[in-house]
Parts: sequence; C-alpha cells; structure tokens
Amino acid sequence: MSAPSPVFTAALDGGRLCLGGRLERATARALSHALERHAPSPGGALIVDLKGVDYMDSAAIGALLDAQRRAAARGSVWRVEGVSDTARRALSLFRLGPEQAAPPPPTPLMEAVGEGAYAARTALGDFLQLAADTTFALADPRKLRLGAFIEQCVYMGSQALPIVGLIAALLGLTLAFQSAYQLRQFGADIYVANLTGIAMVREMGPLMTAILVAGRSGSSIAAEIATMQVSEEIDALKVMGLDPIQFLALPRLAAIILVVPLLTLMADLLGVFGGYLVGVLYLDLTSGVYISKTIEALAPGDLLSSMFKSLIFGWGIGLIGLHFGFQARGGAGEVGRTTTASVVASIFYLVIAGCFFSVLFYVVL
Amino acid sequence: MVHDLVARYGARTILNGVNLRVEPGEIRVILGGSGCGKSTLLKHCIGLIPPAEGRVELLGQPLHALEGAARTALLTRIGMLFQNGALLGSLTIGENVALPLEAHTDLSPAVILEIVRLKLAMVEMSHAEHLLPSEISGGMRKRAALARAMALDPDLLFCDEPSAGLDPLTSRELDETLLRLRDRFGMAVVVVTHELASIETIADRVIFLSAGRPLADDTYQRVRQHDHPEISSFFARVAAGEMRGGPSALEVLTKGGH
Repeated sequence: MSAPSPVFTAALDGGRLCLGGRLERATARALSHALERHAPSPGGALIVDLKGVDYMDSAAIGALLDAQRRAAARGSVWRVEGVSDTARRALSLFRLGPEQAAPPPPTPLMEAVGEGAYAARTALGDFLQLAADTTFALADPRKLRLGAFIEQCVYMGSQALPIVGLIAALLGLTLAFQSAYQLRQFGADIYVANLTGIAMVREMGPLMTAILVAGRSGSSIAAEIATMQVSEEIDALKVMGLDPIQFLALPRLAAIILVVPLLTLMADLLGVFGGYLVGVLYLDLTSGVYISKTIEALAPGDLLSSMFKSLIFGWGIGLIGLHFGFQARGGAGEVGRTTTASVVASIFYLVIAGCFFSVLFYVVL
Repeated sequence: MVHDLVARYGARTILNGVNLRVEPGEIRVILGGSGCGKSTLLKHCIGLIPPAEGRVELLGQPLHALEGAARTALLTRIGMLFQNGALLGSLTIGENVALPLEAHTDLSPAVILEIVRLKLAMVEMSHAEHLLPSEISGGMRKRAALARAMALDPDLLFCDEPSAGLDPLTSRELDETLLRLRDRFGMAVVVVTHELASIETIADRVIFLSAGRPLADDTYQRVRQHDHPEISSFFARVAAGEMRGGPSALEVLTKGGH
C-alpha cells in the first residue's frame, strides 16, 4: 500500500488566505506558488490563517517568511492571524538571527590581479627560501637522518626500478622501430644503434625517468607533507624544537637527488637494450656491430650530461613537492589539490629545464 | 606572559589587547565560544604565529624574539598537546615519545627507551609502545600525545581541547592526569577547552574570551558567577542568541515583518 500523498489546502476568503492540512517539504513548493498567487497588491493587505494546519516543518516556515519578505518589499501588509497548536509549536521552535550582512562585493579586477601577483611573489619567495635552506642543510651531512634517508632511497629508488626499467626498455624499442622504418628506405639500418643510443642517453632517458619520478615520488612528497601540515604534525615538530626542513625535507631531497641519476643510468642502459633487441632480432644486425656502433656514437660527455640533467631534474622535483606540501592549508581536499598542483608544476619544470639543457648542450658539446 | 597581544589574519583582527599571566603550578583555562580566538591565542603562546602587536614571554623569555639554539632551548621547556594529538603517523607511539629526547638530549638509546616506557606508563599507554597512531583510538592518541608533550618534563604545558571528542570516562581520566602532573611536578598548564565538566575539575583560573577580547579573567568560581550575559549563558549551556531573545518565527510572522 502506497503512502497517502501529502495534502494542503489554500482558500482565499476576502483578504484572508486560509491554509490547512500538511505544510511540509513535499508541499512547500505548492505553498509558495499559492502564496505568490494570492500575494497582496502594492499597498494592499493579506492575512494568512493557519488554524487548519495539521503539520508544519521548516520548509513551510521558510516559504511563509519568504512570502512575508516579498510583500514587505512591495509595501504590502502581510501577517499571520490564527495559528493551530501544531503550527504554533513549529513556529516557536525557530528563532531568527540578526539581519544578514550584505554579501561582500566582488573583488575589482585590478585588485584581483594585484592580489594574484602578491600571492605569486610570496610563493616564489617561499620557494627560494626553501631552496636556500635545504641547500645549506645538505651541505652539512651530519644534519641528515640516515634512517629516514635510506627509507626514502628504498621507496624512491629500488621500488621504482621495475616501472622505470620497463618503460625505458619499451621506449628504446619504440624509438628503434620508428627510426628503423625510416632508415631502412635508405639502407642505413645500422644507424638505428646511433640514433637510439643518442636519443635515449641525451634526452629520453633522463626526461622519462624524471617524469615517472615526478608522478610517483614528487606527488608522494607533496601529499605526505601536506597531510602532515593539515594534521598539525609539522606544528608539533616546530613546538618540539625540531626543524621541519631538517627533519622532513632533507631526507627526501637527498634521496631524490641520489636516486634520480641512478635510475636514469639504468633507464639509459635498458633503453639502449630495447633498441638492441630491435637491431638484432628485426634488422638482423649482429650483436657486436650494434654494440660497437652504440659505443662509437656516444661520447663520455653524453653520459655526463645525462647524469647532470637528471640530478637537476631530481633536485627540482623534490623541491617542488616539498614546496607545495609545506604550502598546504585547510583540510583533506587541500591535500589532493596540492598533490595535483605539484605534479603539474614538476612536469612543467621538467619540460622547460629539458629544453634549456638541450640548447645548452647543443651549443657546448 | 602575554602582554597586549593583537593578532590579525589579513585585515581581520582576531585578538585585540589580550593579556594573560600563568603562575607556576596553576591550571589556567582559556574559555569562549567558537571563533573567539582561543586557538589563535594558543598558537601565539607556543610560537607558531608571531604577534601583530604586543609580546609573548615564556618562562621570562621573549619567545618570538629568540632564534636558533636559544629558541630551541626555550621550546624544550614547554610541552604542547594538540587537539588531535598530531602524532607523526609514520612513527610508532614509542618512537613519537622518544623523538624530543633523541633530538634534544645526549642520552643513550637504552636510557631513552626507559624514559619512553615511564612516560607511556604515566598515561597508561604501555601496551601501545609498538603500535602506530592509526592503530589506536582517538582517546589513546591524546594520551600518547600527552606522554610525548611530557617527554622532556616541561615547566609549562599547553593543551588544545584535550577533552574534545572523548567519552566522559576517558575525558575524566585525562583531567586527572593533568591534575596529577600539576600536583607532582608543579608545572603550569594552559588549557583551551569547552567542556564544562572538565573546566570544573581542573581550572584554577579562567580567562573568558569573546570576539578576541577578554570578558573576564579571574578564579573559576568568580568567572562562573560573572553576570555578563555571554558568560552566564555559556555556563548555563544556553545559546547566546536565545538569551538575547532573538525573535521567533511566530513573532515575526504574526507581527507582520522581519
């Protein structure tokens, strides 16, 4: 058996609107329509009779108050006379607060631009301060908490080996296939080794490794620090006289600076190995020829530049993660926003820095 | 120890001319409705926020003017119990309590372990030494955080709503622990709390804040009998709006206007 549908009645008797039945959330919209339909003309009057009301909730009270406010705005008289016991109990339950202050006006455009610029300047200042603090702290190895540093190295380094290795090998394989397809047309299959080796070691190895580390470890740093920030753990460290930079930032930054070059070295090797597989299995090059062409193409400077780039990449990813983490304020939602912002900023940084290094090394090497 | 403190967040003034003095061996309670500036006052007292105006002195030293080793040395003489404990989630309860001892003393690991066990026993948390904060209840986390705040035997202990979210029994136990600490070690304790039962049990003197200004600053009994409507409504557990007699919907609708 279905529940009876909620019913209310509204009948106009001269200047008196008699409401009855159940005035509740389900009938509040119809009640508003009835009140609007019978609203007094400007300067007129309406008396609302609630003697027949069997039930009343806050939605109905809201509709009545709204109708009264509209009538007052039109200069009409609108009031309740005659209230059933049920309605009286409901209406007595709710008290009105003081008049609401007007909502603040929207910020003028120039002011908003100024506030944005000031916030950006403050954030940049905080970032540079963090960079300076951590760099000075890194210069003193006694400040490093060894246990936390090793823990971070394991998480950021050894646990990242499988994913970084797999992606690097597949990337080398893809590069080799794509270049083989073009070079074969000119009978230059052998140069697949040169192309894959140089592309992996100079560009793709460091960049792909750094992007993976940014997504995996940079985001983790930002999320972890932001969570500690919003749960007052960082405040607790400060009150205990512990420096959050030394306690939290240093082990993470030192670990990422160490592991990113090592991961890059492995990515370079596995990327070349991916190309080697294509060369030997698909292009029928001998193993010795492929290896000798790769060694011939790569100068020691290529490997050094790869390591240097990855070191700078790792430093930047770590700093960006820490910066966004320490900037977090508010609740759990802020942790998510902070993490996303840190990954986006890290990838942006990697692309810009990668571009800068490409131009620099092209000119220098 | 707090002199004419003014605190601002941007253009908003949160505290305006607050003075607070805490004597050794007393429990001082900071009271007031939500948003009156209690937590802001506490954050200034423990050095997390620098004052816009005025000054904060802890144990006779200007906390915000100190830097480096001098500031750290002063901070080791205070303890802070945060509202949610603020235990480090990656460390066990024992490691959390050991943290200040490892950072600020040259004690051997074996001695530190003994101290950690003493402190955990003091708050009846010995069984949780090897557990992570996520593995224990909210009340246990607060007790563990109290053990950490007490690790260096501070002269001054700050507590931010120690009873919030606890059942009456756990809340009572925590109050008794604070009283024991005060009585046995003679430390001064500053507590921010809303819990009337807790205030009645522990408070020696009370400062009542309203909209960033002190309404009353006296012994608990005198503040309890204060005739300011906001204070009397607070102790009578009646909403201030109701005490002020905000119009009911019935009055508004029958009188014909808001």
